Order: sequence, then C-alpha cells, then structure tokens
Amino acid sequence: MTKYGMVIDLERCIGCNACAVACSEENNVSLGQQWNRILTEGGESKDTPAGSYPTDGRDGTLSMDHVPLACQHCENAPCVKVCPVNATTKREDGIVEIDYDKCIGCRYCMAACPYNARVFNFDEPVTLPTDGTGNVSQREQGVVEKCTFCSHRVEEGLDPACTVACPSDARIFGDLDDDTSRVSRYIDQYETEQLLEERNTNPKVRYIRGEMSPGRKRSGNELEGTVKKETGNPNVESVSGGD
Amino acid sequence: MATHESPGVIDSKFGTLGKVWIAFLTFLIAAGLVAWYQQIQTGLIATGMRNVFSWGLYIMLFVLFVGLSAGGLIISSAPKFFHSDKYESLARFGVLLSLGCITVAGLLILPDMGRIGRIYQFFTTPDFRSPLVWDFSIVVLYGLFNVWYLWLLTRRDLAARGSALALGIKATVAGRERDRKLAFWSAAIALPLAVMLHSVTGWIFATQIGRGSWFSPLVAPTFIAKALVSGLGLLLVTAIIADRLTNFEFEEELRSKLGKYLGVFLAVHVGYLLAAERLPHAWAANFDFWAITSGFLIGETSFFWLWTIPGGAIPILLMAIPSVRKQTWAVFAAGALAVFGVIFEGVRLIFEGYQAVNISDAPGITLGEYGGIGSDIWAQSGVYTPTMIELVIAVGLTAVGALIVTVGLHYLPIQRRDMVTESIADGGKNE
Repeated sequence: MTKYGMVIDLERCIGCNACAVACSEENNVSLGQQWNRILTEGGESKDTPAGSYPTDGRDGTLSMDHVPLACQHCENAPCVKVCPVNATTKREDGIVEIDYDKCIGCRYCMAACPYNARVFNFDEPVTLPTDGTGNVSQREQGVVEKCTFCSHRVEEGLDPACTVACPSDARIFGDLDDDTSRVSRYIDQYETEQLLEERNTNPKVRYIRGEMSPGRKRSGNELEGTVKKETGNPNVESVSGGD
Repeated sequence: MATHESPGVIDSKFGTLGKVWIAFLTFLIAAGLVAWYQQIQTGLIATGMRNVFSWGLYIMLFVLFVGLSAGGLIISSAPKFFHSDKYESLARFGVLLSLGCITVAGLLILPDMGRIGRIYQFFTTPDFRSPLVWDFSIVVLYGLFNVWYLWLLTRRDLAARGSALALGIKATVAGRERDRKLAFWSAAIALPLAVMLHSVTGWIFATQIGRGSWFSPLVAPTFIAKALVSGLGLLLVTAIIADRLTNFEFEEELRSKLGKYLGVFLAVHVGYLLAAERLPHAWAANFDFWAITSGFLIGETSFFWLWTIPGGAIPILLMAIPSVRKQTWAVFAAGALAVFGVIFEGVRLIFEGYQAVNISDAPGITLGEYGGIGSDIWAQSGVYTPTMIELVIAVGLTAVGALIVTVGLHYLPIQRRDMVTESIADGGKNE
C-alpha cells in the first residue's frame, strides 16, 4: 500500500514563500485564499523576530522561524468524519480529498480542522489572469477547498508543486509505507514532530526541528521511484529522454 | 381579543390586532425571502462570516431554536407519561409552540449552506460518522413527531367540529379513550426523543477537538439544561401573551408553579453546570485562593455577563420570591430574560470556538475575501458581526415560527373549555 506523506525541514526553510506561490499558481487558488501559508514563529507580524536586538556588546535574543502550514492529511482526519455528505474522504493512498461537486458548503469541516487548513469560497474566486492559472480547474463559489498534496500531479508521477518550488530543499514528499523511500528514511533518521500532536489527528506531514537535514536531492520534478520526466506540467505528455 | 366561541378554538376569528399581527409576520417573511434571494445571488460573502469565523448567526440561532422547542413538548408529554392532568390545559399549546420552534431551527440551517441545491445528499450519500447527519435526522424526526403528536391531541376535537383536518377520525368516547393511551405511549417516545435532540445538537460541538472549549463532555448535559430553561421561558412568555390577547386561558396557579420550575432549571443551568465547567479550570490555572475564586467567578466576555446576570441571576431572584412569582409581569420577565440569556450563551459558545486560533502565528489565516491589490486578506483571530442580510433572513425565518403558532391558535382546538375547568376542579384552588 502507498501512503503519501511529507517531511518539512524547518531548519532549511528560509521563509521565501516560493512554495505558497507555486501552490496558488498550480492549484488556481483565489487571491482571497491561500492553501499553503507560511507562518512566522517569532514576532507579532510576518517575517519579524521575537526577542531584542543586540546592544552594548551584549548578545541579542532575536529568533525567528518559518512554519509552512497546509492540510496535514491526517490519518484520523476530523474533517472527513464530520462531512455529512461524504464530500470529504480519505483516499486509499492517504490523501484527504474533497469532491467539489458534492460539497454542500456547510463548513462543518472548517470547524473540525484544528489547523485552519480549509478555506471556503464565500465569494466568486478571483485569479489573475482571470481565466485561472495552473493545472486544476477553478472551484465554484460556495464550496470548501484545501491542499490536495497536488494529487493531480502525484497521479502523474510528479512531486507536489510546493516540493518542486522549494529553493532550499526543505520539503520531501513520498511514500510513508515504503521503508526505503526518502521520506521514511528522514522520519527514521531525524527527530520529527507533528503539529498539535496532542489532538490525536495523526498528521502525515511531519516537521524537522533542531538538526538540519541534507534536504531533498534536486534531480527533477518527478515523484520518487517514477521515471524521469521532461516536464513539470501534468497536462503535457511527459517523455523520458527529452528532445 | 376575539370573543367568538367555537369549541376549543382559541382565536376563532382574527380581530384587528390579529390581522395586523399576521400582516406584520407576512411582511417579515417576505423581507426574509428577499434577503435570502440576495444572499443566494451574492453568495455567503454577503454574511459576516469568513474563513476564520466560519459559523455565525444562523448556527447560533439554530442552537437556540432547537433548545426553545424543548419546553412545549416536555410540558405536554411529561405529565401525560406520569398520568397527570395537571398541565393538560397547556399540552396542545406546548406542542404547537414546539413545532413552531423546531421548524424555525430546521429552516435556519438552509441559508447557512453554500450549495443549498445539493442538500438532498443528506439522504443519498450520508456519512453516519457525522454528528450533523445525526442531528439532521433527529431534527426531522422531532419535527414530524410534533406534527403527529399535535394531531393526536386535537383530532377528536377536530372531528367534533367537522374539520377536514381530522382526516376521517370520529369524535367517539371510545376513540378519545384510545387516544389517551396513544398519548401516553407517544409521551414515552417524546421524552427520550427530546433528550436525544438536545444531546446530539450539543455533540455537534462537543466532538470537535479543534475549537477551544467545545470539546467537553459537559456540552450535552448543558444543552439539555438550556433547552429546559429557554423552552420553558418561551412557553411562559407566549402563554401569557396568548392569555392576554386571545381566549386562551393560562391559570394563575400553573403560571407561578412553572415560574418556580423555571427558577430551578435556571439554577441548574446558570448556577450549577456553569460552576462545574469553570471550577476545575480556575483551580488548575491559579495558585492563590483569591485568584482561584476570581478565575472561577469572573467571566471574560460581555456575552458571559449578559447571559449570567440578566439571563441568570435576575430571573432566578424573581422566581425565588413566592409573592413576586405570583405576579404575571414577573413570570413574563423571567421567561423573557431566560430566553435572552440563552441567546448569549449560544453566542458565547460559537465565539469560544472561533475567536482564538490554535496556530495563530503571523500572518494568520486567509479571510476568503479579496479587496484588490494591496488589500489585507489575513487575520490572526476571529471576529464576527452579522450583516443586515443575515439579520433579516433570521428574523424572517423566526416569523415563520410565529406564524405557525398564530395560525395554529386560529384553526386548531388548542384548549378545550372543559379541559380548563376539569384541571381546575382537579387540583386548582383559584376561581
């Protein structure tokens, strides 16, 4: 069995927001929403540190970290359990998915998600260009949406857009059920944590803190264990070898 | 108002006031429909809800009206279950009121849906793990049960009047006797059904680990307590109004007795259960005796104070003094204040879930609203104010409930004269 998961190395993350931009672009996310948010652990506002500036030859206490936060694809996903009409389900491969044609827009899943990973199309979605971006069709007004682990890419043997976009190799995506996959080996080797672990949602996204990992080896856009691809666009026929 | 007697019908002819009242309700319903149409056109962006605070007035009022529906059904079924005729004069009125409230509650879910046209999927592809499915089922069941029960209690009298609503039932003595037995068995279903309704509505919240104090085993019992408080409060208020404006008779003795019960329910809800919820937290979080005491006694929000003082302490005080309890105004005020308090208890519950965010680091959560380049789409905590559209829709739907009760008083034999005298002869000392 395949069970997809992700490791995010917070020591490698530089808070550049490239993954957030890539996500919104690839998934055609409305300008009023963001599926993948980059939070600043530190000061009161974005990209500001906590602590004090070094003065009079003393050490400063400034500290700042960035935490990319999107759907955690929980094993015990409360959003799946609350959905009254089975619009949100957990796939065989562990990806928590929304059927946008079924969603009735009751927003119980938003109440259920402790990570606030879900957003609702209160308004008509707005994108630039207006006919949308990326490779996923626009969701209509009145439904809930969220990160899909780029399931449309994964099915084509490509890594999620955020993983490919990360310039500091902080994201590793792969099969948690395969002991030899890089994501499994990282979980084995480095100390990882789940967000809000005490709520027992058992997320499939894990974060490395403390000791920096070597990061994902950048060799292409393809999902680990699949053939090498020429293109990162799942809608374009991929050919191995190139022209 | 109307003095034209017809057996058992309270308000056989609408007077001027009645007509004005119905016109007013119709106006409110029409305004609600217009607002609803507008909301469907613009989407839920027309409401005050956003991603951070994704449930608002509709759900707060849904919870309120589910609670309000309790009083009537319990007052009409509990005595029947114990074979008592004491509250017989209120029985049908209670069920009518209960039906009005549960209808409003059910309707309030509809404007909250982003995609109302797909709501049939509750039947076609339900997930039985979802407390919303449990609640939806039980609200529908409860509504249908109220219709059945009201019809059961009135059908022989409807038949006596030759009403088509009797659906062929005959007004025979043996039939009435049979209905008494049926009413007992229906009452035996009504009580657990009411307990289930309020518990399940509580579990919508109590099962959620992501929203602050929602995740508490106390929520379900608290929902039952608040249903008793607000349901009885509304019953007292409406029965007093009906007594004033129609031929409906609400005996003084019943009134002050029920006022006393209201005081007891309030003490359990606003006194005991709230204390049981707060004390362990206050104790664990503070060290000094006075810090523990103030942590226990002093609430943080205006909703807390609106609920506990005007909605708790004052009505308890009014109903605790026997001479005050005998006054119509006092019972009326206590009932109204009890409902007022429970409104804010519901508001407080929703705010406790959405105000704080579990992972609240900057920049926070996107709102779901884009105001153009340079606009701020982020929030680190939840704020919510209902919009005019939400208010007009909510008032319009509430008017539907009021119309159901008004029309019921007009067309149904809600109180038989002989019933009133009978119960007075039984146990009453007044008149």
